[in-house]
Amino acid sequence: MKKLLSIAIVLLAFSCSKDDNPSDNPADLKGALEIKFEHVWGQNAAPFALNQEMTHPSGQKMTFTTLKYYISNIKLKKADGTDWIQPESYYIVDAAQTPEAKITIPDVPAGDYVEVSFLIGVDSLRNTSGAQVGALSPEHGMFWSWNTGYIFIKAEGSSPDSPTGTFTYHIGGFQGEHNAIRSRTINFNGAVLMVKPNAKPSIHLMVNAGRFWHGGVQLSQVNRVHMPGANASMLATNFVGGISFDHLHN
Amino acid sequence: MHQCWLPILLEVFLLITCTINKLQPFRLSGETASFIIRKMKALKYLCILLLYFFYSCRKVTDSFNTDEKLSLEIPAYFPQPKYNFEGNPLTREGFELGRRLFYDPILSIDSSLSCGSCHAQVHAFADHNVSVSVGVFGRKGTRNALPTFNLIFMPLFNWDGGVNHIEMQPTAPLLNHDEMDITMAEVLRRLRNHPEYPKLFKRVFGTDEISARDFLYALTQFQGAIISSDSKYDKYLQGKAQLTAEELEGLALFYQHCSSCHAGPLQTDFAFRSNGLEWNRHEEGRYHITLDSADFQKFRTPSLRNVALTRPYMHDGRFNTLQAVLDHYSELGRSKPAPDYTDPKLKDGIPLSESDKEKIIAFLHTLSDFSLLSNSNYSEPRLK
Repeated sequence: MKKLLSIAIVLLAFSCSKDDNPSDNPADLKGALEIKFEHVWGQNAAPFALNQEMTHPSGQKMTFTTLKYYISNIKLKKADGTDWIQPESYYIVDAAQTPEAKITIPDVPAGDYVEVSFLIGVDSLRNTSGAQVGALSPEHGMFWSWNTGYIFIKAEGSSPDSPTGTFTYHIGGFQGEHNAIRSRTINFNGAVLMVKPNAKPSIHLMVNAGRFWHGGVQLSQVNRVHMPGANASMLATNFVGGISFDHLHN
Repeated sequence: MHQCWLPILLEVFLLITCTINKLQPFRLSGETASFIIRKMKALKYLCILLLYFFYSCRKVTDSFNTDEKLSLEIPAYFPQPKYNFEGNPLTREGFELGRRLFYDPILSIDSSLSCGSCHAQVHAFADHNVSVSVGVFGRKGTRNALPTFNLIFMPLFNWDGGVNHIEMQPTAPLLNHDEMDITMAEVLRRLRNHPEYPKLFKRVFGTDEISARDFLYALTQFQGAIISSDSKYDKYLQGKAQLTAEELEGLALFYQHCSSCHAGPLQTDFAFRSNGLEWNRHEEGRYHITLDSADFQKFRTPSLRNVALTRPYMHDGRFNTLQAVLDHYSELGRSKPAPDYTDPKLKDGIPLSESDKEKIIAFLHTLSDFSLLSNSNYSEPRLK
């Protein structure tokens, strides 16, 4: 009987330790953060807007009507070197969003973060897995129906320098030499993003929308890209090179 | 669901009086019928009860069992399906919703065409003997509509293999300017504002917030469940029918001359090849997808099941008869020069005498599955 009693007490003790309130455990604390995408023009970060004629340093002129892109597979690095990988991490960033384009990352473990990385585009698995929901739903029009795959970056507009008077950059491709998935790692340059409950710190990035024409790309030659290929890959590389870190808000 | 029980009890009575070996009162047609009847033999009472449960529910009330699983009858000699309805469990209700969508013209921009307009059951789900299909506003495409059966065995879709997943296949004709010319956002808007679809989606997927994924899932349940495996050739393979002497000779000639590409029980190697057709100047073939110059003028090797029912032939429907197709292969590299891009296997054509061709055509007719054409489970639903 005594034996039974002591076993019962031991069991009770163990079960008590399991009953601890999870919010008391720092490892279980979670918070949200935002990533803000400020769309700018040129290396001096001049203001950029849709439906407004912009002049590229190359002298070419263009008016954007659409600028959207996928940001996916977000990963955050803590000061201690460990990574947190967001599950189901798919977002469409739309430059038409006002006052600023931003995405919210919920349920991030509390802690001090020093780096974020992500893909511009959609990983190859989700390009081959059939019908998807959320940001990956085909209803967003960021999708090729005739050549299955996501349009990672969509930029459309008009330009007097294009022989057709317009430009259409539908950039994607997830296979072989025409893989246009690009990754970007943004280090906070020594700053620390503090994620904690009841706060919404943010990572402020700048996105240079004029970067498509980096390296001498001419609208007279490259004005219609509507499938994976060499031009799509080149434009993806150019565009990703125009994403830079600006500052953090804690 | 409790509303279902009354008719069931009545029908159970009816059933018992009907006697089990007299199955006529429950006869469906085609695939499903033979499948159900075979299952019944194993589990007579239970199956009949379940079947009646379902049918009586459908007649009586809206709130019926959404969980009734459908399983497909696939002959053992068929290839392994590429699609197993994983994540999209095949149910009677899902199949019926997909069927209704398949035949609903609201999926085209001007509400003039449904999927079934160009994939007609009477033509084994190919188009109505036209070379290229006519889309909204009389627009003409550049390709002959492929039949939509046995899709779960296909690794890639369309003539150029541009679509990589059965669930995504419907987006191709929906969005194509020359076909239905609609957007997915517009499809969803119409379905969400429809008096019945939200309710039907809720039954199948548990939510009336219709998503693009659930819409595609439903269409996949219907199209993926269309299996054609009841041809005379199937009956021959199953030891249930004899082929005539001419058909048997045709079969031997087919094996000898055609089956290195038209391989296996579905008569396709699932590859992309150029069969030496003269370039029609509209089409680049698989090159359009891969941008690999080696893929210029390559199109998929089509399955030859129901081939006698799906004229005209080739990716652009240029040949009206099977005779013309075989003439092409026998003339290629001889009286008709083979283009540079012709598949090496066909550079010198296929040596066939006129009598060989007649025999091969006789064999090809044994690939027709007439029960596919008459199976009421696949036909346009009669709406109340």
